[in-house]
Formats: sequence, structure tokens, C-alpha cells
Amino acid sequence: MKIILFLLALISFTSFGQKYTVSGSVKDALDGEDIYGASIKVKELTNVGALTNSYGFYSLTLDSGSYTLIIRSTGYDPKEIPLQLDKDITLNVELEIPEDVQEIEEVKVTAVKENENITSSEMNVTKFDPKSIETIPVIFGEKDIMKTLQLTPGVKSAGEGNAGFYVRGGGTDQNLILLDEAPVYNASHLLGFFSVFNSDAVKDVSLYKSGIPAQYGGRASSVMDVKMRDGNMKKFDMSGGIGLISSRLTLEAPIVKDKGSFIISGRRSYADLFLKLAPNEDQRNTKLYFYDLNAKANYRLGEKDRIFLSGYFGRDKFGFSDIFGFNWGNTTATLRWNHIINKKLFSNTSVIYSNFDYQFNIGSGNDGFGVKSSIEDWNIKQDFSYFLNNSNNLKFGFQGIYHTFKPGALTGSNESFNEVILDSRYALEVSAYIQNEMKLGARWNINYGLRYAGFDLIGKGNAYEFDAEGNVTDTTTYKSFESIKYQGGLEPRLSMSFVLTENNSIKLGYNRNYQFLHQLSNSTTSSPTDVWVPSSNNVKPQIADQIALGYYHNLKSNMYALSTEVYYKYLQNQIDYRNGAQTVLNDLVEGELIYGTGKAYGVELQIQKKKGKLTGWISYTLSRSLRNFDAINNGKTFSARQDRIHDIAVVLMYKLNDHISLASSWVYYTGDAVTFPSGKYEVNGVYIPYYTERNGYRFPNYHRLDLGVTWYLKDSEKFEHNINFSVYNAYSRENAFSITFQENAETGNTEAVKTTLFKIIPSVTYNFNLK
Amino acid sequence: MKKLFYILFAFTAFTSCQKVIDVDLNEANPAHVIEANYSAEDSTLRVRITVTSNYFDNTPSPEVNNAIVEIVNASGIITSVPFSSNGTYILSAYAPEFNTEYTLNVSIDGANYSAQCKMSSPVQLDPITYEYFDGFFGSGGGYAPFMNFNDPAGETNYYQVLLSRNDTLFNTLDDFFTQDDQLTDGNYVQRPLFLNNFYQLNDSVHMELRSIDKRIYDYIDEAQSISGSQNSAAPGNPTNNWSNGALGYFSAYSSSHQSVIIQ
Repeated sequence: MKIILFLLALISFTSFGQKYTVSGSVKDALDGEDIYGASIKVKELTNVGALTNSYGFYSLTLDSGSYTLIIRSTGYDPKEIPLQLDKDITLNVELEIPEDVQEIEEVKVTAVKENENITSSEMNVTKFDPKSIETIPVIFGEKDIMKTLQLTPGVKSAGEGNAGFYVRGGGTDQNLILLDEAPVYNASHLLGFFSVFNSDAVKDVSLYKSGIPAQYGGRASSVMDVKMRDGNMKKFDMSGGIGLISSRLTLEAPIVKDKGSFIISGRRSYADLFLKLAPNEDQRNTKLYFYDLNAKANYRLGEKDRIFLSGYFGRDKFGFSDIFGFNWGNTTATLRWNHIINKKLFSNTSVIYSNFDYQFNIGSGNDGFGVKSSIEDWNIKQDFSYFLNNSNNLKFGFQGIYHTFKPGALTGSNESFNEVILDSRYALEVSAYIQNEMKLGARWNINYGLRYAGFDLIGKGNAYEFDAEGNVTDTTTYKSFESIKYQGGLEPRLSMSFVLTENNSIKLGYNRNYQFLHQLSNSTTSSPTDVWVPSSNNVKPQIADQIALGYYHNLKSNMYALSTEVYYKYLQNQIDYRNGAQTVLNDLVEGELIYGTGKAYGVELQIQKKKGKLTGWISYTLSRSLRNFDAINNGKTFSARQDRIHDIAVVLMYKLNDHISLASSWVYYTGDAVTFPSGKYEVNGVYIPYYTERNGYRFPNYHRLDLGVTWYLKDSEKFEHNINFSVYNAYSRENAFSITFQENAETGNTEAVKTTLFKIIPSVTYNFNLK
Repeated sequence: MKKLFYILFAFTAFTSCQKVIDVDLNEANPAHVIEANYSAEDSTLRVRITVTSNYFDNTPSPEVNNAIVEIVNASGIITSVPFSSNGTYILSAYAPEFNTEYTLNVSIDGANYSAQCKMSSPVQLDPITYEYFDGFFGSGGGYAPFMNFNDPAGETNYYQVLLSRNDTLFNTLDDFFTQDDQLTDGNYVQRPLFLNNFYQLNDSVHMELRSIDKRIYDYIDEAQSISGSQNSAAPGNPTNNWSNGALGYFSAYSSSHQSVIIQ
């Protein structure tokens, strides 16, 4: 409590004259989309201004008088509006895209104020809108925001072509991935090669690596906040694309012009349709596809209220005749109500549903059996922003999540099997936060906050106790909603910037995060069957503490941006499996777990060119990620798999003329840490690898060049289209996807075999937009 | 046009490749490997002792011929296991006592290793049945044998199954099948066993059902997952029942058999 009082005391009150408030929203004049992060400045007063929140809402309180407001957002013409402030005023602003910029809109890189990176207190939050990255070449020509994020410093791909990612030495399950506030438990399609995010339906993506604002919580490493587009408020618009792997179509239109709109966007892969043409019957009988659907509608109920309904539904299907079938997918739904309580207080209430499930079936008829597993969340969230004064913007709120875990059920008609239904587990996750974005004089921006997170594993169900070998020593049965184990703690957050000059600043960030859900993976590739395990009487929450320091410098009137960040992260209660753990259909999986600590540290450098014909960036990360488990490696510290010491990315985009844009990206990183045998021995006539240390070896270093050309065909007011040609792995580097140690079937000699997944892959995609 | 799409797809989907490469591996300190099988059927204990070698060394594993090997029964009676030849030690006519624990002690140049294993009683295998299966992805179809047996109710059983084709025994780790009764306790078990290749008409099938100790079941499971699935995130040496870090295992087991000719 003392801490909260102390924080409140920090709020600075500037003056006490007769004050009035101007508030309203900032929107795109063309399609009516809210503009997030637009700046509202007062011409007559230096250092007074506001930014719009994620719903485009702003509020500015000033002494009575006459002023000129300047509204700015990158990619739009700035607007000056004179203002006589002698009462509270509502002022809604529409910004227009300048004529000459409309054509090169595709290559704009940021959606933020030009020197936002210097002045904001946010520590190196990485923001992208899909438009800005559409020319960057990606595998199979499927533009994918998660793949592009992997080209930024501190963010690393979880493997060849994989949509999973590691942030600053953390695991793939330590990223909170939100789609319109709904957590997405498995963000990849086709075993990781595509992310579940259809770029056509995405408005923007923010990735927080450190100094995470107090409004977010639940994962240890990072927050990736994906916002869906609201849909065109002005007129009907259709866009889509035809690619090698999948096609997509997006429709958007006003429900009532300037009052409400909807967007619906679908995507389906069709590799399996080509398989139907295959000469081999086995290939014809193979199913392998995914589809997803994003839909969103919003409606303004009056000056003060607005309702949003958004949903996502996606599914992957894999099967072979009726012998084997496997499918998985996410479903999310978010209902939001924006309410302007008064000129200074903005409220958002959300009810969120999120589900991930997988099932597989083997055989059919009398011999068939199936396995099903799911995780489901019901989530209520209340957020307030209070524009206290021009120096303090308070945010506070609370959240409650009811989790249902159904780890697995084996059902079938095969009489050899007894049905197995694992105990469902239930949990309540609660949190509350308060944070203040404070401007202190002309130089300091401080965003400080405190979040409380608690997790209650509840009945009904059994709680087990285990001995050191993982055998059950005691079982206790709990009734519905009876608390099995409550765990929680405070998460202080701090992010501050000190502006040295208009062109450079220093920032400091600290965050503590609790993570109560843990994803356990027993293999190196991400799989839909990786289990999520809740914290319990045996499993403690993961705790991450991170401190980061950064220096930012813009050159040549914000044409170049340089950034340097150093960080140190300490991870408690990290989880791994015992050797040979039984992970499938095991009620006692908690007995198969072991615990340790981790640390990650590094330095990240980036130089970015933001304007001109040539744009892009070069980033370099030097980092380590280490783990320490008593039960692994004889207690000696070992490298985490993602301990990539050097990581380089070079991304260049060049606008040749109005019709042709070129792009390339090159990545290089130290090979993943991996366990190789240091010897072999013979048992039952076969050689078995003899291991002496965990992750004591490295894969060969990884590098790859991708090239792309986007050709903007002749367009008119009503119709725009382009063709994108790309080449993945242009110099056909044979990067190691896996290295296996095996006996050669013919010679009987033991050998190491490297598997390369993708050599050079050319692709072509056609995109159109009918307005 | 259709053909073009198909070619394009084929081009992208099948670009993976495999290559034998050189990997610079550390030299580990040699460790002892003790592979001990005590079969109730012929009342014989066979022990083979070797040491680990460099991974890319393709000469046979070095054998240990100077070990002192002893087996101790549940009553504490110690019996010496004599050296035979080439790293093997054989004790024959050693009558099994079912559902009792045996201890095997091995001493090599002052290093002492010990392992315990329970001798389980045999479970009767019923006649083999077989069915025709279509091939998967290019491999041809053929017959797979079903093992059929009645699992004793109310007790925890662990099994290891070995197959032969035309008198050739599939005795390597990768070809072992394991079965527990976690899902099938007391049931009549009918399970098809798929080897890398199907059986064909006129092949003879021989099946051996071994009742084994849980420690051996876990060991085989773990060893198979290490040698079989190559992308385990955390490969390690399989947990066995030897003390003091010896590799290998000590298994005491009983067997039942069935044969059939596919027609």
C-alpha cells in the first residue's frame, strides 16, 4: 500500500488556474480508422501536448485562452486547428494522406511521430504496420508480420521458417501474444511455417521487450500486441491476394457511414488441392491445409459510446485417408465497450474468450481411437485512462481470467483400450494495475506502474505430492471452486527517458513479470501437442526480472535512427522435463518436471534509415542465454537452446520508381546450442550415442539471403494491384535443420547426417485492392 | 495450367535434402557398458561388458575380459558368473524364482557397479493373427501380425515384444515393441505390430512376449526415444538400473512364444 501512495505522490500537478478540456478522436479521413499515437501539440505552448490512445482518443487540459492545435501522425498531412477554449470542447479530427504520399505509402516504415523513438518513454517498443513491411521477402511469399519482427534486434526466429520467436533469451512460451486483447495460445499454422495472423486484417503490431507497461502481464519475456483493423468507415473496399501456398480475401464496408463498419478477412492454403492431382494415390489421399477467418465490427452508439466485436477462427488439418487425422486451431472473440465517462476519463470494458484445442484420430470404425485436448479462457477486463493533466496520464484497471485446461482424453471403440480422460484443471487468474505516464519538465518522461498478479488453481480435481524421483506420495481431492494453491506477487514496472537534445535520449527500463502457465515441449520444433501446465502446489510461477538501458540517436533530421540497448534478465522457476519423461496422457505430468534458473544478457545495436528511396535497417545483437538446473548437466550452467551469441539482420528496401520496389534481407546467427554425443556404445546390437553434457555443441552458423521485387501494376482510383516475386534463401545455403547421429544402414558405420529443410525457394504472389 | 501449379508446388515442397557431414566431437572419458540378460526360459544369465568409444570410430567396441561378476538372489545367496569369451560372462542352469528381486554386482579394476531387477512370471501369448495393410507414402502394402493375450487383471505388467521373420530375429533396440497395461489392465489385448517393412505371403512370423521389470520398460522406452526420434530437445543417456554411472542394463525376464505362417 505504501508503494501505491508513494507512486501517487509522484504525480505532478502543474498549475491551478481556470481550466478547460479539449478531447475527441483522431481518424483517417479516407477510411475512418482510428489513428493510434497521433500527437496533439499546442503551437503557443512549448512542451504541452497529448497522444491518442489505442482507440484514437485524446484529452488535453489547458488554461482558458485561444490556441492553435497541431495534429500530426506520420504518413499524414499535419493539421492546424485554431481553438477558443472558454468551455470544455469535443474536437474530432480527420487526417488526410497527402496526394504524393499515397503512392509511396507502401514503403513508409513507421506509424509514429518522426522522433517518437527519442522522446517517448517506451523502451524500444517495436511497432509495425503490415503496409510498411509488405515488400520484405518472406518464405513462400506469404507476408507475415511475425517473420518480419524476427529481423529486429533481440527477437530471434525459433527455427527455419518458423513463426515462433525468442525474445532476449526467453522461451517461445514466454511471449504474451494478444489479438485484440485475446491471448493466442498457439500462434502458428502448418507446424510453425506461418503465423496465424493474416496481415490483411492487422492494423498494427507492437512488441514490448523491456519496461513492459503495467497494463500487460502474464508472460515472462515479452508482449506482442496485435490490433485488428476496424474496417472502412467510408465505403466498400475489397482486397486480396493469390499466392503459391494460400489465397486471401478481405471485405470491409461501413454499416452506417461514419458510425459503424465491419471487416471480414479469410485465408486458406491449398497445397492439398494440388496433391489431388498427384499421380500417387497415397499423396491424393493426404490432407494438409489451414484456413483462418478474422472478423470485426464496430458501431458508435452516440458521442460517448462505441462497441467493438472481433473474432478469430483458424484451423489446421492434417490427415491421411481415414488412417490418421490431426487438426488444431485457435478461436478468439472479444467484445469491447468504449465509454467516455467525461472529458478526462476514458473507459474500456472487454469480455474475451480464447480457446486452443487439438485432436487426433487414428484408424476408424471398431479399431479407431482419438485424443482430444484443449485450453479455454473466459476473461473480463476493465481499463481506465484518466488524463489527469497535461503532465500525467493515469491508466488503471483490473482483469479476471477463468482458465479451463483439458489436458487430454483418449476415447475409442477399440476394446483393447480403456478410455482415459485426464482430470480437467481449473484456475482463476486475477490482476490489477495502476500506471502513470508522466512528463517532468522538458526532458523527462517517466512511465511507472505497479501490477499485482495472482493465480489460484481451483477444484474440482486432485492435487498430488511427489517424492524426489517423481513418484506420488499423497493425493488430495478438492471440490469445485475450492482453492488448491494460490500464488501471486507484485510486479513493479518502470520505463523512463531523459531527452538530452531533440536528437538523442537515454532510456531506462525495469520490469518484473510473473508467468503462471508453462508450455512444455519435448522436441526442438514447436508442435500443437506441446502441453500447457498451470502453476500448482508443485509448479511455481516463473518470475522474470529485467533491467535495460538504452541510448538513442537520430541523425540528419530523423532520417537515420541509431539505438543501443543493454539488458540483463534473471529468470526463476524455469521448467524442464526429467530425462525420459512420459508426457502424453499423463495425469501425473507434474512429477516429471524439474526446476532451475536462467539468466540472459546482451547488447543490441541498430541503425535504421527511415526516409528516402532507400530504407531499412542493420541490427546486431551480442547476447547469451544460460540455464542452471540441479538435475541437468550435473548442476553445471549450460546454454539454453536459443543461446545465439551473434545475430545480425540487414533489411533493405529500395523504391526504384513508382512501379517497382526492391527489397532484401540477410540474416546471420550463431548456430543453436545442441546436445551431441561425445561417444557411443553398443547395446542389443545397435550403437547408442553417449552424451556427456547438455547443449555442449553448436549447429553450424546460420545465414540466408532473401530477395524480393514488388511490381505495382497500372492502377486507377478504383483499383490497385501488384505482383510480388520473392526468392527465399537466394544463394541456397544448406542450413542445418537437424543433425542426427545414426548408423548407416549399408555400411554399419556411425555417421552424422544434416537435414536442410529449404534450399532456394522462389515464389510469386498477386495482390489487389478494389476500392 | 493445372500442371503448372502442380509443378510449382512440387518445386517448393520438396527442397529439403540430407547430407553426411563432419562434426568435431569431444573425446569423452571411456565408461563401462554392462548389458545383462537373465532369461527364465533357459535359466541362463548372459552378461556382456564393453567400454564406450569415439563416435566416429568404426572398429568394434573394446571388450572387458577381467571383470568379477556375481548374482545375488532374494535370499542373499551369491553365485559367481564365470567369464566365457570376448567380453561375455555366462551362468547357466540358474533356476529363476518368479516375482523376486535379483542383484547383479560387477567389479572392474576396482570400480563397482550394482543393478537390481525383478523376475516377472510369464504371461501366455495366444495364437498370432494378421491383417493386410495398405502402404504409406510409396512403401508397398503387406501383412502385420497382431499380438493377442489376456492381461492379468489387478497387477501392473510390463512387456517387451520381439519379432522374427523367417527365423531372423529383430533383436535391435529399434525393433523392440513395448507394452504396459496402464490403459489395458485386465483386458484382452489385440495390437498390430508394425516393423519397418510389412510381412509378405508365405513369410513365417515368430513372436516372443517377455514379462519385464518396470525399470527395463522405462529404459527401453527412453533409449528408443533417444536413438529413434532425432529432434528431442534434451537428449541424454537413458536412465538405467546400474549404480555408479555404468551404461547398459540388467534385465530379468520370462517369455512365451507363438509362430504362424502368413497365407
